[in-house]
Amino acid sequence: MKDSKTIEVLLAGNPNSGKTSLFNEIVGANRKVGNFPGVTVEKVEGIINYKDYQIKIIDLPGTYSLTAYSPEEIVARNYLIASKSNLIIHVIDGTNIERNLLFSTQLMELGKDFIIAVNIYDEVEKKRIKINIAQLQKLIGVPVIPTSSRTKTGINELIDEIIRHNEKINSVQKKFNYPEYLEEKIIELSKILSYDTELIQEYSPYWLAVKLFEQDEFVYKLLKGRKIWLKVFPFLTESSKEIIKRYEIDTDLLISEARYAFVKGALAETVNFSETKKRSLTDILDYILINRISGIPVFIFFMWAIFQMVFNLGKYPTDWIQQAFEWLGDLITQNIRNELLSSVLDDGIISGVGGVISFLPNILLLFFALAILEGTGYMARAAFVIDKVMHTFGLHGKSAISLITGLGCSIPAFMSTRTLKSQRDRITTLFIIPFMSCGAKLPVYILIIGAFFSPKIAGTVLFIVYMTGILLALISAKLLKSTILKGESEPFVMELPPYRLPSPKSLLFQMWNKAAMYLKKAATLILIASLLVWLASNFPKSLNIEKSYGYQKESVQQNKYLNDDEKKQILSALEKKENSLQFQHSIIGQLGKIIEPVIQPLGFDWRIGISLLTGFAAKELVVSSMATIYSIDESGTYSSKNLQQKLRENYPIQTALALLMFVLVYVPCIAATTVFHREAGKTKYTIFYFVFTISMAWLLSLAVFQISFLFQIN
Amino acid sequence: MRKIAETDFVSLTSLKPGEKAEIISINAKGEIKKRLIDLGILRGLKLMVVRKAPLGDPIIVKISGFLLSLRKEEANKISVKYCE
Repeated sequence: MKDSKTIEVLLAGNPNSGKTSLFNEIVGANRKVGNFPGVTVEKVEGIINYKDYQIKIIDLPGTYSLTAYSPEEIVARNYLIASKSNLIIHVIDGTNIERNLLFSTQLMELGKDFIIAVNIYDEVEKKRIKINIAQLQKLIGVPVIPTSSRTKTGINELIDEIIRHNEKINSVQKKFNYPEYLEEKIIELSKILSYDTELIQEYSPYWLAVKLFEQDEFVYKLLKGRKIWLKVFPFLTESSKEIIKRYEIDTDLLISEARYAFVKGALAETVNFSETKKRSLTDILDYILINRISGIPVFIFFMWAIFQMVFNLGKYPTDWIQQAFEWLGDLITQNIRNELLSSVLDDGIISGVGGVISFLPNILLLFFALAILEGTGYMARAAFVIDKVMHTFGLHGKSAISLITGLGCSIPAFMSTRTLKSQRDRITTLFIIPFMSCGAKLPVYILIIGAFFSPKIAGTVLFIVYMTGILLALISAKLLKSTILKGESEPFVMELPPYRLPSPKSLLFQMWNKAAMYLKKAATLILIASLLVWLASNFPKSLNIEKSYGYQKESVQQNKYLNDDEKKQILSALEKKENSLQFQHSIIGQLGKIIEPVIQPLGFDWRIGISLLTGFAAKELVVSSMATIYSIDESGTYSSKNLQQKLRENYPIQTALALLMFVLVYVPCIAATTVFHREAGKTKYTIFYFVFTISMAWLLSLAVFQISFLFQIN
Repeated sequence: MRKIAETDFVSLTSLKPGEKAEIISINAKGEIKKRLIDLGILRGLKLMVVRKAPLGDPIIVKISGFLLSLRKEEANKISVKYCE
């Protein structure tokens, strides 16, 4: 190991080229999952030891070209142009070789060494496409290796080639020319660029020149600040004008057409497509799944199936995890005498860690489901089917999947927005996911609806609450998209990959990558936040309350006229009363009282205020906080009436409606907020998210409260 | 050689499923133009409209061996002429 040489290899290529499956096949489980620095783009790298070498392989996000737009593409492109890696493996889909090779032409200009893996070769053979590998290799001038992760073809050859390449350097040459006049101008421009010696240490001047003629934003920005720009700019403008005049087409199109012509020419000599009239599997499946009649029902069915799988199947492991942690908590409270210590361990740390882990089954299942959608090729089609609806509200078809997931839990929903390429679309979707009522809000709804509405209409009310959320989400999207997140949204120009059966290995790895990200990036923050909430709801303790209840308990214990059962009953009532008073004395309790004037117009009092505050820790806590607070009534005596009865006695129905609205809209739990922060990536977004959800909740609840009074008068 | 009249050109949106055409020009700007170029949507290539989405938009076209979906908004910027 000590003497082993390290080779760094980048895996690059078009989306849907089977790149990640190939990566999984090469490196197996020996991987590291993280983020590319500064962006929420997943970075997966693997290490293999082979002969005397240690080969580090980085799986870059899929990209169609070196002109980048989405965060993923920018990462891929920056790595390709700037990294000091030894070699690039360009993975191409052998069944779609024509378009995939366009990217090879761009790599040629980059002046970096690469080899081509003609992937999915098993399908190439099945489709009777004949590729003359030796001839293709000659024409393109780089090693070409047929590979398939399904049949495990070519994996060893690929690794051998990496090492062979490392032992002898042979530089890649561009094997084609642009139209004569353009080529001349590119060469002249690269000569001008060569004067900037600092610049050409980093970039190939020829590549920069081509990119300038392609009007590439990144290269423009790169050069604008430099002295050389004063010479480059006039030359560029002058010759571009001349080129457009001569060829009657924009320079960027002219460049692409030349690349395409080269690919076309190379393929004419090397590939033999056997034209079959038989309808492909993809044609047949599309005919069934996305035709004009069945398209939407099939989409709804798949979404429903995912939802069921993620949340119903996930319920069991989640319950087990929660039970295990409860058991652990009980064990601690029973065995640790020190009350404070046991409370920290049980209510603080154990429930915090438990909270983090109990989300894991849902996250794993969701990402498993998404990996299936993506891997089979249905994901792009789902977006295609529902895009019209989403586009009406300024969103992209793919947002629908995140929103539906949000009905289960916001955390996996936030994480699933990564499939959106445009930053604006992503941020908008992140903002509106909280309006999709998550599973944890359901107990709160049930408590309130059960207390104020007859069982006959309870279901309808619940349905209206959910629908209101969905409507609010869509309206907010439109609002955000036409105000602060205004701008060109992602164009819907999307490849629909052929249907394929993803390998179980690939699905499992993808699922695991996401889970690892969650645990690594969110877990510690969620834990800290849970501890803070615990602190705030337990401190400061009032010594007076403690003392006075201590005496009372003491005297009950020593009362000779009571039997053991009676004593137990009175003691437990005292205990609840004490807890309730201490809770009111804690930071959260006092805060609840402080905010009372703010929430009074909504028909809420400090009790509701406190409960809503604890809802920030977890939505289910709204219910248990209410139970704690209402265990004593106005006069301060313990009352055993059930919570729903008490709510009915204390508040008018208008308050109930306003409360439903508030719970529906206000800021999600701390765990979700943490994940939001991670995904949105900027503090200003998280601040806006707070302000947005809380002020919306306040305004809408106020409206509901006031308007529902008007109706009652009538 | 007969010069093709401007009137022979139509936008891609006016094609019905099953109809084939050749790309004459790409009139998009900015990101859409780049996307189309990157995907190899270029002059002279032949394509076929395969189907429309259930709600009429977007559409799917088959071009150089793969399927591409795009909104009418984007398809409008590609002018084609019928072939076959």
